[in-house]
Amino acid sequence: MHHLVIDRWSRGSSPLHQRDPRAKLAALLVFLIVLSTTPPGAQAAFAAYAALLIATASLARLPIRGLTGRAALVLPFSATFALLTWWSGDSLRALALAEKSFLSGMAALLLVGTTPLTGWTAALESWRVPRMLILVIQFVYRYLFVIAEQAQRMRWAALCRGSGMGSKTGRFRSAAGLVGVLFARSWQRADGIYHAMLARGFHGRFVPAAPAPFGTSDALFFSACLAGCLAIRLLL
Amino acid sequence: MHIPDGFLSTPVWGTLDVVSAPAVAWVARRAQRDTQDHRIPLLGVMGAFVFAAQMINFPVGPGTSGHLVGGALLAIVLGPAAASLVLTAILVLQALIFQDGGVLALGANIFNMALVGVAAGYLPYRLWVHQSRSGAIFAAGALSVMTSACLALGQLLISGLRMPSGVLWASLGLFLVNALMEGAITVAAVRAIERLNPAWVTGPRPASSRTLAGVALAALLLVVVGTLVASALPDGIQRLTGQGLDSAAWSQRTIAGLGGLALIFTLCYLGGKLISRRRSA
Repeated sequence: MHHLVIDRWSRGSSPLHQRDPRAKLAALLVFLIVLSTTPPGAQAAFAAYAALLIATASLARLPIRGLTGRAALVLPFSATFALLTWWSGDSLRALALAEKSFLSGMAALLLVGTTPLTGWTAALESWRVPRMLILVIQFVYRYLFVIAEQAQRMRWAALCRGSGMGSKTGRFRSAAGLVGVLFARSWQRADGIYHAMLARGFHGRFVPAAPAPFGTSDALFFSACLAGCLAIRLLL
Repeated sequence: MHIPDGFLSTPVWGTLDVVSAPAVAWVARRAQRDTQDHRIPLLGVMGAFVFAAQMINFPVGPGTSGHLVGGALLAIVLGPAAASLVLTAILVLQALIFQDGGVLALGANIFNMALVGVAAGYLPYRLWVHQSRSGAIFAAGALSVMTSACLALGQLLISGLRMPSGVLWASLGLFLVNALMEGAITVAAVRAIERLNPAWVTGPRPASSRTLAGVALAALLLVVVGTLVASALPDGIQRLTGQGLDSAAWSQRTIAGLGGLALIFTLCYLGGKLISRRRSA
């Protein structure tokens, strides 16, 4: 399934995987801000950004085709708006919309493809993002696929019992019943999780494995990203 | 509607990031204060539940189906602060892992859906729950979706995105249909949950003032409508003064608008098919 791909990517051992998540997150933000302020029509700059991303991806030994394929998920949305903009007579801007959203998506994928969730949430926590939010992010990610698979099974079971047939009100009601039961099961699961956590000595926060200190190579990596982005933005 | 990166102009995303960051910190503090320890996993699992519940199709209209969006449902079940926090967590995960919404646009998306969307869902529930329970829940679902969508559209327009006015009206109509659907689905879902265990749906705390909630709701709606009008109107005024109301141009615009609507609908439909096939594969 879907989540396994990113989780598998993020467990690699390339030089990029070993960089401190804080350096990678900061580099992502720099790239996105520089990209966002690039004027539409600077095609050379967009090509250079793409080259930079592809070079970084091959440094991280990530599959380029898988990466571009996943980043292309944003294209249906941006293509719709790009068409509307093009229609209103602004073809440069239309092209820029598609380019920017695609490149941004790819950059974000490079971060999560080389950093496990615990890594980037630890980086967020060190930047004073509220601990409660971090905890909820970790729990949502942990149980996302568990509950989604349960929902899928329940949907199939309901279809087997003939929930796809009958009057529209009946089907509507049966869908509502599914949501209700899914809710009840999620609630009970949360209860069970809490007791299991207590039994394992949970006291209000997850203790991450001792993080590696922010080293020279991390600083070098960030500076290189900063220099690369600024060079493209200012020179092209 | 998750706004990707590259759509908002720098002042717009910058402002909304600056506004959303302290708001999320405040919401997190409030949620922590209201939440006993055992509710921490509950909040996370409820986030996962909303993700999963979106896979369940509700039949609406001929040949189409909708699904729960969930902001109002979370606000009714968990209370507004916890609901905002859970939705923020979902948006962060969607932006980074699912390529659904941008990272710089996260502030905007959080503002639209997790902050204003939840408030617009909770306030009507809080206001009218004692008069008409179903009506209050319906209004909660509908208003939450409508305000989020209108805000997103307003921000896109302020950022300089242009669309033919026919398409603008068509998308507003589409938002309205979505809002009514979300209202109906929220009512049905809350009823189903209550049937299983009435204790899961807690009423609002009686201590808070109803007048305040009413004023807040009115202010919220005014801001949303104001944003939309302010962002859409310059275009409209220009059009009126520029060329007058020429009937040929009007019919052209109408046809263009309907064409655009059909195009958007087809693209969304195909995109949805593709994604659902990929998810279930």
